[in-house]
Amino acid sequence: MAHTSEGLKAGLLVVAALGLGTAWAQLSPAQPPAGTEAASPKDAGGTDPAPAEPSANGVVQHPLSSQCAVPNKEIAAPAPLPAMISKLESGKSLRILAIGSSSTWGVGATSRQKNYPSQLETMLEQSMKDVNIEIVNRGVSGETTETTADRLRTEAVLIKPDLVLWQLGTNDAVQHVDVETFDHTVRKTIKALRRKHIDVVLVGLQYTPTYSRDEHYIAIREALNRIATDLNVLYVKRYAAMEFIARTKANMKVLSDDGFHLNDLGYQCMAEHIAQAVTANLFVRRKKPAS
Amino acid sequence: MNDVAVSAALLDRKVKTTRAPNEIDFWRGIALVSIFMNHIPGLWYEKFTHKNFGYTDSAELFVLLAGWSLRILVDSQPRSLTPLRLSLRLGGRAVTLYAAQLVITTIAIALTAAAALWLNNALILQWNNTAAVFEEPVSTHIGIVILTHQLGYFDILPLYVVLMMMGPIIGLIYRYIPAALLPLSFAIWAATLTFGVNIPTWPVEGRWYFNPMAWQLIFVTGFVLGGSGPVKSSIERWRMPIRVLGGIIVILGYIGTVQLWFPEPLDVPEPFLFFVADKTFLTPLRYFHALGLVAFFGGSFWLLIKYLRPICRFFSMLGRNSLYVFCIGSLLSLSGQIVRFAIAPSLLIDTIVVIVGVSAMSVTAWVSEWRTRLRD
Repeated sequence: MAHTSEGLKAGLLVVAALGLGTAWAQLSPAQPPAGTEAASPKDAGGTDPAPAEPSANGVVQHPLSSQCAVPNKEIAAPAPLPAMISKLESGKSLRILAIGSSSTWGVGATSRQKNYPSQLETMLEQSMKDVNIEIVNRGVSGETTETTADRLRTEAVLIKPDLVLWQLGTNDAVQHVDVETFDHTVRKTIKALRRKHIDVVLVGLQYTPTYSRDEHYIAIREALNRIATDLNVLYVKRYAAMEFIARTKANMKVLSDDGFHLNDLGYQCMAEHIAQAVTANLFVRRKKPAS
Repeated sequence: MNDVAVSAALLDRKVKTTRAPNEIDFWRGIALVSIFMNHIPGLWYEKFTHKNFGYTDSAELFVLLAGWSLRILVDSQPRSLTPLRLSLRLGGRAVTLYAAQLVITTIAIALTAAAALWLNNALILQWNNTAAVFEEPVSTHIGIVILTHQLGYFDILPLYVVLMMMGPIIGLIYRYIPAALLPLSFAIWAATLTFGVNIPTWPVEGRWYFNPMAWQLIFVTGFVLGGSGPVKSSIERWRMPIRVLGGIIVILGYIGTVQLWFPEPLDVPEPFLFFVADKTFLTPLRYFHALGLVAFFGGSFWLLIKYLRPICRFFSMLGRNSLYVFCIGSLLSLSGQIVRFAIAPSLLIDTIVVIVGVSAMSVTAWVSEWRTRLRD
């Protein structure tokens, strides 16, 4: 995520040419070290203990912290990640494109370093020692899936990721995007990414009590479930996982003050669930060779 | 001078200060109304804008006409003007546009915030890439000023600012080596598409929606077409075949769009930007479709003004005052989005939004011209 200073410099050039100040560069918040509140193995209290042994490709399944502990089945069903596995076998670096809307950008987090892609980067580096992991964040707040899909298809060619983490569905549900259009867009994009040998992980809708009974919200969630099953794609059921936490740990606050977006802890759990789902599917590979 | 004489003089000036309806202003007026409607997603009337009938939308037309206007401005400058004075004169417009971008962005943020308060819905605060303003105000305020943070639908003026900043360079190349202008522009565009380079955004990680290094091509094309020269002479000589070719492009564009023939970026060969219909990079499909439209419809204004005079006068009035009308139109589009969110969208609501919007844009143009007359 070495993007911050690049963007600032480009902008400064524009303004400098207009003769309107150049001293802002010093104010640029440099990309801090990726320190997160990710769970250390010490406080891991997940319901599914991590395997002690690393897999053949050196991956250790990411453990869940006690705050974010959720049964595996509430997070994701197993699905193959062939491109990632082959990249791990042949190289020591992974490039991941995290794309989506406000939950990817990090609305509700106290800083950009607390959003889920930043926290996930640290977690994956802990699970994949000696692998250089780069997560590129392309979250744009308020965006619906059709617009994101357009960006995704171009960004995927420009960034050349090994894995795409596609957070989607919430804005489509809230803005009442037609379910059929949503379904068609997602399927078409996943198929195109796979043709290009890029793995996809779908990251589902935000959990919020406000929309728990909203028909359209439910319909979009069901569409994602169907797509994941039909295309055998790894789908992190964010809604179910967070609902489980809300139900079992009523005193734990995972939402920000707007009552809709996650707070720092919420993003930590989101990152942990994705890290767990991804590493579990890389780990499974040792016992179940990809067909 | 008695009162009658003063009135007569004012009347005389009034006639002088308002340009007669012309082709550039007319098409620019059309583009302004289209942009207003295109920036209200889901609006029923949006389906009638030309983006649904080809690979381009009003942005290409708008930028091409901006280049065309720059050429008229350059040609109107005396040859004796020193390069420095020419540069200052052409570059001054960039500052005006920059100020306009800051003003409309500020008002758009306030409108979004007001809507969130009015409707008691915090989700509105994340519309159109606005979330960063409220979530990360320190860096986002810097980003707005240095143009690395652009709200959704408020992203064409930054392109315009950069293009106008290039105005002096374009003007000087045209003055000293005119034959190099278009080839140089093509080379920069081709390199941009080959390597996929763009200006990064900050603090939201991404890229400029309108890539100035790609979009300069259509701006320079407008500049070249806007005045006499070898390109214009060739067009004059081959007028009919070019119009036929333009017609073929327009028809193919229509068929392609209706049949949803959009090349898949993930499937086409590298360098992929040459084969897809990407707006950010103004890919060949869009560029040549825009040229096809110009070739086919260009020069048809005499026919339009003959049979549709009031309409031509109306759109020309909007086009004559394009900056003000564009600014108001952008804010009206956002207001339209809010209204459609607050009240369940229907054909009636959409009709009211369009009528109120276009009326407000025309009042803006009228007031702007009225002010000009008063100044005289």
